[in-house]
Parts: sequence; C-alpha cells; structure tokens
Amino acid sequence: MSSEREIQQTLCRMCDDRCGIDVHLEDGRMVDITGNRAHVWNKGRLCVKARAAVDMVYHPDRLLTPLKRTADGWQEIPLAQALDEIAERLVEIRERDGARSVSVWKGEAIGFGQQEDIARRFIHAFGSPNYLSNDSMCYAARYFGYKLVDGGWPIADLENARVIVMWGANPPHAHPNMTQYITAARRKGAKLVVVDPRLSAIARRADVHAQPHPGTDGALAWGLMRELIRTGAYDKEFVERHTVGFPELSAYAATFTPEMVEQETGVPVATVIEVAALMGDAAPRVAMYVGNGLEHHENGVNNIRAVVSLDALLGAVDREGGNRFVEPAPLRTLTLYDDVPLTHLGPLGADRFPVLYDLRQECHTMTAMGAILEGDPYPLRAMVLTGANPLLTNPNTERVRRAFEALDLLVVRELFMTETAALAHYVLPAASFLERSELHTHAKHQAITLTCRVCGFPEVQDEYQFWHDLAHRLDMGAYFPWDDETALNRWLLEPSGLTLEELEAHPEGVTYSPLTTAPLERGPFATASGKVEFASRYLKDLGYDELPTYKSPEYRGTPDDEYPFVLVTGARKLLYMHSRFRNIARFRTAEPGPEVEMHPDDARALGVGEGDLVTVTSRVGSVTIPVHVMSPAEIRPGELQITHGWSEANVNLLTHDDRFDPISGFPLMKSVEVRVEKV
Amino acid sequence: MRPAGVMRRHVAIVGNGAAAISALETFRTHDRDSRVTVASAEPCTAYSRVLLPYYLRRKVPYHHLFIRDAAFYRDFDADLLLESAVERVDVGARRLEFADGRNLPFDRLLLAPGSSPVRPPIPGLEGPEVQHLWRLDEAGRLDHLFRQGARALVIGAGFVSLQAVWAARQRGLVVTVIELAERILPTVLDDAGARILQECIVASGVDLHTNTRTEGLMRDERGTLRVSVEGLPSFAADVVIVGTGVRPNDHLLAECVEPAQRGITVDDTMQTAIDGVYAAGDVARGPVVGGGPRTVHALWPTAVEQGKIAGANLAGARATYAGSLSMNVTSMFGVTVASLGRFAAEEGDTVVLRDDLPGLRYLKIVVREGVPVGAVALGGAAAATALGFLRPFVRQRVPVADIEAVVTGEHVAGRIARGRAIGRVVPGGSGS
Amino acid sequence: MRIVAVDPDSCVACRNCEYTCAFQQTGDFDRARAHIRVAYYPAERACVPFTCMHCAEAWCMEVCPAGAIARNEETGAVEIDAARCAGCKMCLLACPFGNIGFDEADGVSGKCDLCGGDPRCVGSCISGALEYVEVEDAFAFRREALDTRLRHVLRLDKGRP
Ligand SMILES: Cc1cc2nc3c(=O)[nH]c(=O)nc-3n(C[C@H](O)[C@H](O)[C@H](O)COP(=O)(O)OP(=O)(O)OC[C@H]3O[C@@H](n4cnc5c(N)ncnc54)[C@H](O)[C@@H]3O)c2cc1C
Repeated sequence: MSSEREIQQTLCRMCDDRCGIDVHLEDGRMVDITGNRAHVWNKGRLCVKARAAVDMVYHPDRLLTPLKRTADGWQEIPLAQALDEIAERLVEIRERDGARSVSVWKGEAIGFGQQEDIARRFIHAFGSPNYLSNDSMCYAARYFGYKLVDGGWPIADLENARVIVMWGANPPHAHPNMTQYITAARRKGAKLVVVDPRLSAIARRADVHAQPHPGTDGALAWGLMRELIRTGAYDKEFVERHTVGFPELSAYAATFTPEMVEQETGVPVATVIEVAALMGDAAPRVAMYVGNGLEHHENGVNNIRAVVSLDALLGAVDREGGNRFVEPAPLRTLTLYDDVPLTHLGPLGADRFPVLYDLRQECHTMTAMGAILEGDPYPLRAMVLTGANPLLTNPNTERVRRAFEALDLLVVRELFMTETAALAHYVLPAASFLERSELHTHAKHQAITLTCRVCGFPEVQDEYQFWHDLAHRLDMGAYFPWDDETALNRWLLEPSGLTLEELEAHPEGVTYSPLTTAPLERGPFATASGKVEFASRYLKDLGYDELPTYKSPEYRGTPDDEYPFVLVTGARKLLYMHSRFRNIARFRTAEPGPEVEMHPDDARALGVGEGDLVTVTSRVGSVTIPVHVMSPAEIRPGELQITHGWSEANVNLLTHDDRFDPISGFPLMKSVEVRVEKV
Repeated sequence: MRPAGVMRRHVAIVGNGAAAISALETFRTHDRDSRVTVASAEPCTAYSRVLLPYYLRRKVPYHHLFIRDAAFYRDFDADLLLESAVERVDVGARRLEFADGRNLPFDRLLLAPGSSPVRPPIPGLEGPEVQHLWRLDEAGRLDHLFRQGARALVIGAGFVSLQAVWAARQRGLVVTVIELAERILPTVLDDAGARILQECIVASGVDLHTNTRTEGLMRDERGTLRVSVEGLPSFAADVVIVGTGVRPNDHLLAECVEPAQRGITVDDTMQTAIDGVYAAGDVARGPVVGGGPRTVHALWPTAVEQGKIAGANLAGARATYAGSLSMNVTSMFGVTVASLGRFAAEEGDTVVLRDDLPGLRYLKIVVREGVPVGAVALGGAAAATALGFLRPFVRQRVPVADIEAVVTGEHVAGRIARGRAIGRVVPGGSGS
Repeated sequence: MRIVAVDPDSCVACRNCEYTCAFQQTGDFDRARAHIRVAYYPAERACVPFTCMHCAEAWCMEVCPAGAIARNEETGAVEIDAARCAGCKMCLLACPFGNIGFDEADGVSGKCDLCGGDPRCVGSCISGALEYVEVEDAFAFRREALDTRLRHVLRLDKGRP
C-alpha cells in the first residue's frame, strides 16, 4: 500500500483558541490532525476536539447540497437557483417592509474578525443596521467592563504573573491551551486563585478556590478593593497618576467588609483577607482573567467593572505580569459603519441598550425576537443566519422557536441539519474552517496566521464566496469587488507590510509587531478622560451609576419557596462547543448526554441518585434531565449547573430573555431560580 | 581481555527452559567471553510450557510456542545441544555424562532441568490415549486426540490439569475430572476460592468428582479404554490426561537433595553445596520471601528470577536472591484466578475478605503482624491487577494500613494526592 | 531513552490524555481502554496521571511466558506484541503500578508503547503536566513536582507544618 502522506499546516477552529495544527492527508483525504509544535499559541499541544475535525468534515450527515423547504419537505436545488431565489425574496421583503426588516445573524461557529466583518459589511451594504450575533451574550459584556474602565481590553500576561486570578473562567474546558500558560507561571512560583461557584477543572490547581454564590462576584471584588485600600496595599502612585474616581470608589468600597462579603458571597472572611494579601504582595504582577461566567447576570457588567477596577488598584494595568495592552493587527477593516452609517434606522436594541450598539455595533438578539413576533419596535421579517444554532443557545427557546417560525425568510448556512436549520426556508451547505482561508490574529503574541483550505466540496461555498455571490445578485457587488478569499485576504493584509506568501511560509504565525518587555509608558488610556475610570462619566450621562455599584442578584434577596435552587447554565465541557459536536460518536461515549450537576446533600434530600431523572422548572419553562451527583467539594448545596447545547434537555427552555444586565443587555442565564422534582 | 593461550572458561547449562534462558541472557550481560553450552533433552529451541494449554485451546499458534529461535543462541554465543539428555553429573571430574555415552567437561554448571510429571500407580494407565500435559510433544499428541465430541478423562485437578480441562471444553470434548483429594487446586487457591472456581467448572459442563479414586483402566473388545471409578458406573475414554503432580529432576545431583525432601538445595546465590555448581527453576529448593524453610516453587516467574541470579553468579557477579514468592494467575472457565504468597491463614493472622470491589468476585488477603503475606483473588482482569499492586508489599514486607487502597491502586495515586505514604513502593519495582 | 513524565502538580484531570490514548487503541473514547489514567480526588483537589515508566528492569517483560513483551530498540518502549500475547495476565500481576490493561474482546494485554516515539497523550496535554523527556530529567521533573505538592499538603510552604 503506497499512499502519499502530506501535511498541511493551518489553525484549528473547533473552538476560538485557534491552535496551530498539522493536518495529515493521504491521497488528498484528511486522516489525522496533530499539533503544530512551532505555533506561537499552542506549541504543539491540542485538545481532543482538534482531531475530531476530520470526523466532522467527513461526517455522513454533513450537508453538501442546498435545500429548499417545500410543501413536500426538503428539496435539493442547485446552488445558483438557491442564491437567485434568496436574492429575489430579500428584495421583495426590502421593498415591502424596508431594508431594516432584513437581518444577518453570525454565530460563534464561523468565528470573528474577518468573517464577522464580512457579514457586517453585507447587511450594511444591503441597507439594514441589523447585524445580530452571539455577542449579545458572550464576550461583549466583558469587553464593556474593560473598555469602560481601562479604555480597552488588555490581555492577561499569565506567564509573567506572580498571582493569577481566574474569575468565572475554566480554561481547560473553554480555552484548553491557555492552561499551559498558567502551568508555566505556576512552575515559576505563581499562585493561582480561582473564583468560581463550582470546583472547575482549573480550580483543581488553585492555591485558593473562592466559591462565591453565582452572580455575587462583584461583592467579592469590592471586598478585595476595600481590603487593599484599608491595608494601604494598593498602588497609590498608579491611582494618583492614572485614574479618576478613586475617592468615590474608596467611599463605596468601605461598606464591603469581609463579614459583609462572606454574608453576600459565601466566601469566608479568611479567604477574602488571604486573597487580598496575595494580591497586595504580588502587585503589580497580578494577572486577572475574566470569563463568561460573570456575564450572564443582571449585574454582569458592573461586576466585571469592579474586577477591572481591582486591576487598577493593584497597578496591574498595562504592566508585565499583569494585564497588557497589545497592538491591534494592522489590517484593513471591512465594516461600513463610517461609509454607510445607519443609526437613524434604529438598530435593534440600540435604544434599550445603547452601550451595546455604541461600543460594539451589536444589535440585541432578544430584542430581535420581539421585532419578529410583535413588530416591536418594528417588524423584522428576514434573516440570513450563518454558523449559529439559537434554538439551543439563545435564552427562552420556546420564544426563539416561535420567532424563527414566524419569519418570512430564514436562510441558514450550516454543516448539519440543526434545530435552527430545520426551521429555515433555505439551508445552504457551509464550509468548515478546513475549507476556508482567512486571516487570524493572535493578539497575545501580536502575530497573524493565514489558514489554508485543506479540502473542499463542490456545492459548498466559503463565507466570502457566499456573501459575494449574494451581493452581486443584489446589485451591491461594488462592495464585494474581490474575486475570492485570497484576493480579499491580500487586500486586508496590505497595510501590514506582510505578504500572503510570507504568511503561507510561516503557519506558526508571523509577528506584526514585536512584544516589548520594557516597562510601558502608560497612558493616556482610551477613555473619555484619558485615565482609568473607576467612575464613568459616559455611563452617568446614559443614566447609569457612574461607579460599578453592586446589585445583589434577585435570588439572594428574596428566598423563594417555589424556586429554591439557583441554576447556573452553560458551564463549558471539554468535548462540546456550545451546541456543536454532539454528533461526534466518540464524544458521546465520553460525555453521553445532558445532566444537572448537584450537591450530594440536595440529591439525598430529593431522594435521587446518579443518573436518576428530575424535572427542573424555572419561571420560563422546564426540562427533564438526569442527575449527576457531584462530590461535596465540587458544588454548593442549593446550587445547580446544566450545560447548554443539548437538544435532549435544552437548558435554554429555562433561561430568561426578559431579565437583562442593564448595560450590556446580556440575559440572565447563570443565576436562574428553579425548583427540582424527582420524576 | 583473556591472555592468549588460556582456555576459555566453559559454562554448561542443563535444560533449555525458563530458568536456563533467563540465566543465559543474564550471564551474557556480564560475560561475553566464556564458552557456554546449553544441553536440552528435547529436540527444539526453547518453548514455553505455560503456553501449552493456550495452544490446545487454539489461542496460540504452534509457531508462537517457541519463545527463542536458533538466532538467539547464536546472538548469545551458546552451543545448543538438542536431544541431549544428561544422565549423570560427575561432580568430581566436573563433567556431564549423556545417555548416549558422550560427555562434556565444564568449569561451572547450572542445573535447570525442571521437573517431570509423575504417573500414579493406577492399573491400566497406559497406551497412546494416555498423556501428560508437560512437554511439547505431549501437547502435540493431545492436539490430535482433541476431537469434537471425544470423551476425556482427566486425573487430578491441579493447575495444569484444569487448564487442560478448560482447553478440552473449548475444543468441544466431553470431560470428566477425577480428583482424589477433597478439593481442587490446593496449592493455588484457598477453600473459598476453590469453591467459586469449582462452580464455574461445573457450570461449563464438566463432570467433576473430588474425593474420588480412579480404580483402573481396561480396554474393551473394540480396544476402547474403559475407566472404572469408585462409586460411578464405568465409562469410555478417548483421551486420558494424567495430571497428578510433578517432581523435580533432582536425581542429577542427588547428593544435594536433603533426605525426605525434593529439589536440589541452593543458597541465596543459587549455588548448590558444590562450588561452581548452581541450580535454578523447578529443580531448585531455594530461599523464600519472608524466610522459613527452603521450598521448591515450581513456577515460571520463580524460574526466571532464579535463572537471573544464577546467570549473574555464574559470571562471577555477586547477586543474591531475596527469595521466591509464589504467584499464579490464569483465566479459565470465564474467571481470572490469581494468588500470591502464603494465602493459608495461620493462628494469629488477620484475614481481609472482600467481595465488593470493582472487578473482583472474591478477594482474600492474609496479614501477619501488619504485613500482607499472601492473597487470593477471583474475578475479571482486576484480580491480577489487584495482586500486582499488592505484590511489592508482600515481597518487601511493608506493613499496609489501608489494604483496600492498595488493591485498588489507590495507594499509588492516593499517596501523592494525600501527601501521606500508605506504604513504600520502589519505582521501577522489579521482581528481584 | 525518553518516557512520559507526569507532574501531578500541573494536572487538571481534563482527560484529554485518556481520550487520546483510548482513541489510539480503539477509535473510541472509552477511558477504561486508555493506557494512561488520571486519578482525581475532588476533596483534595488532586489529579494524578499514571502511565508506564518503561522500567529499566521491566519485570512484566522478563516474566512474560510468551516472549510477547520486548523493548523497542529505537524508542526504548516496553511493548506488547498482541499477536504473541497468550492472555495469561502474568504481566498484570507483575506490574506494581497497574499500568497494564487487558482487552477482554481480544483476550490480550495492552500497555503504553509511547506511540512509536511520539506519545499522543503528551501532544494532547493542554496543561503541560505530561512531558516526553529523558528518563533522568523525568525523575527530576517528577520529584520537583511531588515535593511541591507534598509541601503544599503539609503546608510547609506556608510555614505551618
Ligand atoms: C502445561 C503447563 C502449564 C503451566 N502453567 C504455568 C503458569 O501458568 N504459571 C506458572 O508460573 N507456571 C506454569 N507452569 C510451570 C512452569 O512452566 C515451570 O515452572 C517452568 O517452566 C520451570 O522452568 P524450568 O526452567 O525450571 O524448567 P522447564 O521450563 O521445565 O525446563 C526444563 C528444561 O530442561 C530440559 N531437561 C530436562 N531434563 C533434562 C536432562 N536430563 N538433560 C537435559 N535437559 C533436560 C527440558 O527439556 C527443558 O528444556 C506450567 C507448566 C506446564 C507444563
């Protein structure tokens, strides 16, 4: 047997870690994926999702032909016909209901950067401001927390830190290769503090695991600030030279005594004092990383702002071993916000959550459901959705379903017939990351990588080709002048002085600007005041508190006999990425299905054991799900966790799409009041 | 370098089994110069007796029975004399005398001729259907006799016999086992373990009789062997396997066999009372772990260990043997059976009995003054793994506070996890 | 010769190594079939990976009555030749660390073979707890890690034993 084995180097995009991979091909067919040892980020190490990309690409259920919904079910149609018909329908709807009744929804599966921006470009060129995405509930709230305080989101300099603090983040499952950076720091003596209601994978290595009740992280952050101020361990020089609002901050912090913090968060007084002391000793080499765990609460942004303020008190902003600002990649931008401003058309959610649109040009997906179903604030009739499965991932699934069913046109680009795709009028086969070529920035390393198209299928278009072909059918081809991805990539890259050929020769990543280790000349910060803002004028003007005031989650205040448990949803698992990869057979062997994680005391009280079925009910809905009895150390009594993305027991049937963080508009998903009954 | 003109030292090894091979390999790591001769009674390169039942059961093909080939003897620079049964060792003249009259002088000698099965004094126990399962040629003959539906009589219910029974059942024979003693496997299992295995044997369709005497065999008019057994109607047998025990081939050095004992006595260097003459394997009566009287442990691992020590010492190294520890494992009748050390409890011992550990149907550990000295386990593969975890503690006589932690492997991980030592395990802990 | 050294002080029990190894053996993710195991103790928050150390004096290899276990000259790995293995389980009884598994379906023993010199478990270790290093370094690596852990457990690092 002689078969040619060839290796192509590119990036894995099974999650957003984007690790360097070696794709092994035999006679042009992928047979294996291993780590690229030279890659700046992962240094050859890979989680097991990467290899499963082979199985995903060649999966027997892969969609490879365009499908049209007809009265008799799905009909396969040629790609050109599908695009013609979609373009025709879009024009009709625009003529009837206006351009803003058409939207684009970009999911996490497609990625960010250039893919996000092409989608934004398309919808703006079409005349609608309604770009929707997964950022309505991921990432943006943290971005605001940092942007509002620091003027930008610096990167945690983990490997040079003396203390690392993970707030609601579990890298081994969510960003696997970040773990090796934490290990590197710990091997040099760094202490690790993990703040998480659950004993997450990373908490197993923590020197201190602070276990706050869900949504109370802000109180802990304030308590730590109080300690640092009280003991004088904060960086006075930094505070004086580079911050505004310290007197207000200091006054507000005063009420967060360790006793009060223990009362509110459940984190013992001694732990609060210990963590503050660790931080004070290590400052400014304290690297804090905030995860999605802090975002899905009614007080998410302010909790995050409080954590970010703590960074500033420690002088850990823009410092080696703390948080560092990186230079953005010198790439062209694809969006049209300057060329074609459409704010006058009322981007969905921009009035309710002005920060969301102002700082990130995101429309609000939950508001979009109201627009579809109730015409509030105006009708939304069509949606082109790519790489997303909101029927499993957005809150209040029943309402999402009703909304999607009510659309006049739903076009879904997908690899598989998902719950969302099943509701579409047209399903177009989408290219996986191994069938696309695009630029990626590794901000931490200030490096760019070009991915390569390792394989392809005839009727399957890459993202750019799709938007390009549709745009040309809609008389907006001028906005999509590049013939293909490569031409686009070349144009994007031009300002950097790098060439595609250089990137092709260096799949391990090419540095666009060397990282400096010299002490940084700090400020001005990219805030209105040019300083780090403990108190935000900008927010005040929008009618919010200027300080990141703490609001106790509703469930803490009013013990509710009807819903006595608090449910965290969406903890990431190693093998699954949101709703994806449930169809990889071997993943099911390892993690067979959904489960509700429960403290053994609660299981005993309910009379249930491992694997027994319970019904979990919130004010929104209910699911029936097997119990996973945790070890007592892993979760607190009265608290539960269910990971999202399972159609068998979809936890978003329980989550709220009408209770939001007031600044970001993020939904309440990680402190949901529920009751549990044995089935 | 040896000065020119000086005769190469000659080391003779009698036997070509586990002990001999292990000795040769070890010897050559110390000594590349001396001349080595390996004398074997059998006509082939080394094969594994342990595999013979697996061969009969068709698990192992014939050619895989051979664990060393001709190239091996070349590589290890040894002359292999086949079909050369040594009849007598002339200790005074320091030479071997062969059955055919040849003789061979030696400077140093290792006796590793193993043991031979004994044939009990049962009238009529002869003919081509009557076989032991010991040598390769015997296994070959049994293979021919093992025909689907054939009727087999197995006399004796020891370790080898039962493996033969299991093979016969796998090959579709109708099997009757007659054991004179009260129970099966006295040297390998305790009573309770034996009972469990006995149930499995019976469940597999074997007609098993303990406490029963085989009175005699006769041929009927058609030449078929008929067996008469105490208390049973007589029955016909197409195959008879005799497994009533073995005895060491210690006649080769009778002067080193103590009265009323079996086996050539050796010290902890594997040397006999005669300078430069060593013995190892089934033929040797050597030290045992934990002290006590010297014993013959007729087991493969013991032969390997003793061969290693003897091989090193033949080359002038100074290796000493910590003593043998009996260890047994096999899988038959759907159950893995393992035992270790002294599993018969004595006065004052603590006995740990468990039937609730994952993968173990039965576990018994005998603890003497805090130190585990022996164990029996039945179940799945976990039975072997569990005793594997325990073995270093028995061997090195390490007191164990938490037996369960040890047999579940908890101790290895747990001592790191909990920062407390349950016992001491030497990393890379090999047998010797 | 190089072996897979483990550092419990860095392990997060993410199971990537177990899945990867099981996949190598069987094409599936049944962790029980992996030749590397990670013991996890929630109460102590301890994670302890275990895999074959390819002992210099490999007792499993010496004792194998089928001559099925041999050292790979190139990689130094102690390997089981499944075609020769009779399934007698002597090696399971010989290993003091439980590092040999048994494949019930095929009736043969199985163990780490260092994937022919490029152990996939190490490539999938996202914490860096596994390293493929020279034996001498492995002991330094492990010892250091173990000391840290012990110091931590005994609270020596905090000055209160
Ligand atoms: C069927 C069977 C199954 C077994 N199963 C197991 C088991 O599962 N586990 C276990 O631990 N043990 C088992 N044993 C026992 C094990 O095989 C022996 O303990 C082991 O082989 C002893 O090794 P040795 O080198 O002392 O003798 P042997 O391996 O018997 O080798 C003796 C060698 O000496 C030669 N020889 C004998 N007499 C002379 C002579 N006069 N001159 C020259 N050469 C001579 C023989 O031809 C042979 O080559 C089993 C044995 C048998 C027969």
